Amino acid sequence: MHRRREAWWLIAPLAIFMVVWLGFPFLSNLYYSLSDVTFETLSSPTLTGFGNFADAAGSAAFWQSLWFSLRFAVIATTAQIIIALTLAIALRPLLERYRFLLAVLILPLMISPALMGIMYKLMLNEFVGVVPQYLALFGLYPNLLGPDWVVTVVIAIEVLQWTPFALLLLLTALQAIPEELLDAAYVDGAKPRDQVRRIVLPLMGPAIAITAFIRFIDSFRVFDHIYVLTGGGPGTLTTSSSIFIYRAFFQQGRLGFAIASSLILMAFSLLLLWATMRYVLKGART
Amino acid sequence: MSRKRDPGPIGWTWRWLLFVVAALILNLPVVFTVFTSFKTNADINASPPVWLFAPTLQHYAEVLTTPTLNFPRYLMNSFVLAAAGTAIALVLAVPAAYAIVRMKFGGGTIVPIVLMLRTLPLVIFAIPFYFMFQWLGLLDTRLGLSIIAAIINLPFALLFAIAMVRDLPYEIEEAARVDGAGIGMLLWRIVIPLGRPMLISIAILSFIYAWNEFLFGLILTTRSATPVTVGATLFATSFGIRWGPTSAAMVLSLLPPMLVGLVCFRYLTRALTAGAIKG
Repeated sequence: MHRRREAWWLIAPLAIFMVVWLGFPFLSNLYYSLSDVTFETLSSPTLTGFGNFADAAGSAAFWQSLWFSLRFAVIATTAQIIIALTLAIALRPLLERYRFLLAVLILPLMISPALMGIMYKLMLNEFVGVVPQYLALFGLYPNLLGPDWVVTVVIAIEVLQWTPFALLLLLTALQAIPEELLDAAYVDGAKPRDQVRRIVLPLMGPAIAITAFIRFIDSFRVFDHIYVLTGGGPGTLTTSSSIFIYRAFFQQGRLGFAIASSLILMAFSLLLLWATMRYVLKGART
Repeated sequence: MSRKRDPGPIGWTWRWLLFVVAALILNLPVVFTVFTSFKTNADINASPPVWLFAPTLQHYAEVLTTPTLNFPRYLMNSFVLAAAGTAIALVLAVPAAYAIVRMKFGGGTIVPIVLMLRTLPLVIFAIPFYFMFQWLGLLDTRLGLSIIAAIINLPFALLFAIAMVRDLPYEIEEAARVDGAGIGMLLWRIVIPLGRPMLISIAILSFIYAWNEFLFGLILTTRSATPVTVGATLFATSFGIRWGPTSAAMVLSLLPPMLVGLVCFRYLTRALTAGAIKG
């Protein structure tokens, strides 16, 4: 009994903190999502029922942004895993002998994605940026932030910033594979390619699944670098769900609509999370 | 045994090549920004880009001394919110983790909620926080942003703290209990000293995450509590993008988390990999 009271005391600060800071947003979201409200009528909203939800669910732009986020996350995650896995396998001897080289490779993940966005804005700037200037030397003048290239560019930035994270995780998993296994395969005359396919990849399955999961949820909620680089444009080409909701709320003042959209996004995310936990990570938890 | 798999001279050569190419591509934005920040305006506009030039500190001087830019204040804001957010997260997470692991209490409810917090898009929380901060008068305050930083850091702080307590030797705690040590004494004298490497890892990662946060800084501040990540973007627009000062501002903004991460590289990698394995 005494122990139980102690446990209460230990956990109470965290519990109270969470009830206050998560409970309130939950209630306020619920209330405002059912109201007709603008910044002027914050304290006197009129309850309107499910109109906001109907608006959000019927908004093509909303579903478009959700589709963008999904596509963005799937492509970026796949690319990160493939590149990181290749780098981890190829560079392992080097990174084991000179540990500090790893620090050079994981530098990008210590940088704020928002700053990364501005840095690429500088790199891609048509007058002072390195990328267009060197491309021009080859007679290439693509408008990298124009409609043809912009989606590729924002995905590429995500991949370049976060591949190091995947690399770090996959390298750790790779190093956990017992040397004896590979040595035995080597003695038995297995080619490096077969070693990778038959031993390394199957053993790394769980690590790959977890890494992909973490990268996917982070890519799915992308906001920072796209916001500073394109603001979601041109048009709505790079408008992710997060940017869509931000714009609806802060730039267009459609409060109820924005909140209803965010709740639909939340339901969708939870569904996605549940499905991933159930089907992808099930085998990964050992 | 494994020495037999030494790649040989050719193997080493192409691995070095691959490393150099990868390192260059991944770090090109930072390298180019650092170079730009030391160039005169004439050198910035040179085409094709110049890589050898007489460096100048004029942009740094401008960024740090022009009063209307408020940049030193933005830097200070980021220090305060990252440090305070880290401290709050640790103070809340460590005792709770102890109760969850050693007393089997509350874990079933709190851990799933905290995990959900980690996985949901943050914009979902941004709007209600805006209302709440308005009512509480926390908009554009350092306290408000510190609370946000703590909320963002809580998920992994709690998970890592749980892992940390689980790895501690239980016998020492039992012995201390028998000697009549209270729970506060136990945490302060045994759990915290023994768990120090992990606590440092949590603190470093949490500092970096909090420093690099952007969305809430953008939404919840206007001028006085603005963090550097947001400050640097304001810069880019208010200047009609003058790249010299903007680059200098960016270098100053990314230096603190990078230095912390590099100096404590070992702790950082441990934290990142432990998080993936446990989480």
